[in-house]
Amino acid sequence: MTQASDPWATLLRAANAGDARAYARFLQAITPVLRGIVRNKGRVLGEAVCEEVVQDVLLAVHLKRHTWRSDAPLRPWLYAIARYKVVDAFRARGTRIDLPIDDFADDLAAHSGPDPTEAADMQKMIAMLDPRAQAIVRKVGLDGVSIAETGQDLGMKEGAVRVALHRALKQLAVLRQRYVE
Amino acid sequence: MKTEDLIRSLAADTAQPGRLGVTLAMGLIPAAVIGLAAVWAVLGFRPDAVAALAKPVPVLRHVLTLILFATALRMCLTLARPEGRVRLWPLLLVPLAALAVVIWAYASLPPGTRAMALFGKTMVVCLVTVPLISVLPVAAILAMLRRGAVTRPTLAGALAGLAGGGLGAAIYALHCTEDSPLFYVTWYGLAILMVTAVSALIGSRLLRW
Repeated sequence: MTQASDPWATLLRAANAGDARAYARFLQAITPVLRGIVRNKGRVLGEAVCEEVVQDVLLAVHLKRHTWRSDAPLRPWLYAIARYKVVDAFRARGTRIDLPIDDFADDLAAHSGPDPTEAADMQKMIAMLDPRAQAIVRKVGLDGVSIAETGQDLGMKEGAVRVALHRALKQLAVLRQRYVE
Repeated sequence: MKTEDLIRSLAADTAQPGRLGVTLAMGLIPAAVIGLAAVWAVLGFRPDAVAALAKPVPVLRHVLTLILFATALRMCLTLARPEGRVRLWPLLLVPLAALAVVIWAYASLPPGTRAMALFGKTMVVCLVTVPLISVLPVAAILAMLRRGAVTRPTLAGALAGLAGGGLGAAIYALHCTEDSPLFYVTWYGLAILMVTAVSALIGSRLLRW
């Protein structure tokens, strides 16, 4: 696939320019593919742990999305993040794994499995956030409440909710990383 | 938490992170200015600093260290991206050129004066000051790398050390009056290598994500 016609690149380019709906579509589009890759590499870890890893990869993609140069091919960037996080997940569970980067490209799309069960660990990490951050992540993520409504419910300005959400997600990644080590 | 719920939280977070190049410039430029100011205020520039820049052998100190700085810094910016891969051979050009200059200097000095040229008078000052001036530049580069997504932390840390050490040595050279390549290649080189080793160690820990 050439980079000009890669629909993921188009979506992330729009997302990085501020289009939140394109960003949601981007994340939804890459998730089944990432899940296929993680399950294929991590069969021994079991389905629930695999989903944890998928969530780790998504969180990493989110927090590192500014490291993609919009004129560079998207997929090598995405697989490099996925590979890094999968290797990390194995290391955390005491297994060393060698993942040639080329393997990732081969895995594509073919293995998108059914949507799995909840990933319990992320729930634990959320419980470790401060109460207000927890409330924001739960409302926005689990209940699907908009940022504006979340702000009204919690008596916060919309901008403050945005900042708090961003901090909470960064904090989640730190907690996940600590947990992995 | 279901993955679709996580996606919803992520999509709601519309904070736009700044570009890595901007982060780097905002750290590195003040670091260089502070280094220059500190050398000027504490040690002083050499009286003939401007004249020395016009002579080939003394100015090589700046040229070699700044080439090292620029080459390693470029590599750091590449390694800040997760898929970034670098070819390291361009880094060899600086030590090779330095070696050639050392051989030339060794051959052109009368036998009795070589040891004096090598050890100079300010070896200790050089070995202490160059790493000190390098601290802020290295920190600025590591901070940029940490905001990036480095998948080779030790290598990226080492390159940050080479770049920061190179810049530190280039700044120190404005003070230093030891113009023999036997001196500056040896002791600047050693100082830069020390910075590189420490930075590699820090990188291997700090640059995980």
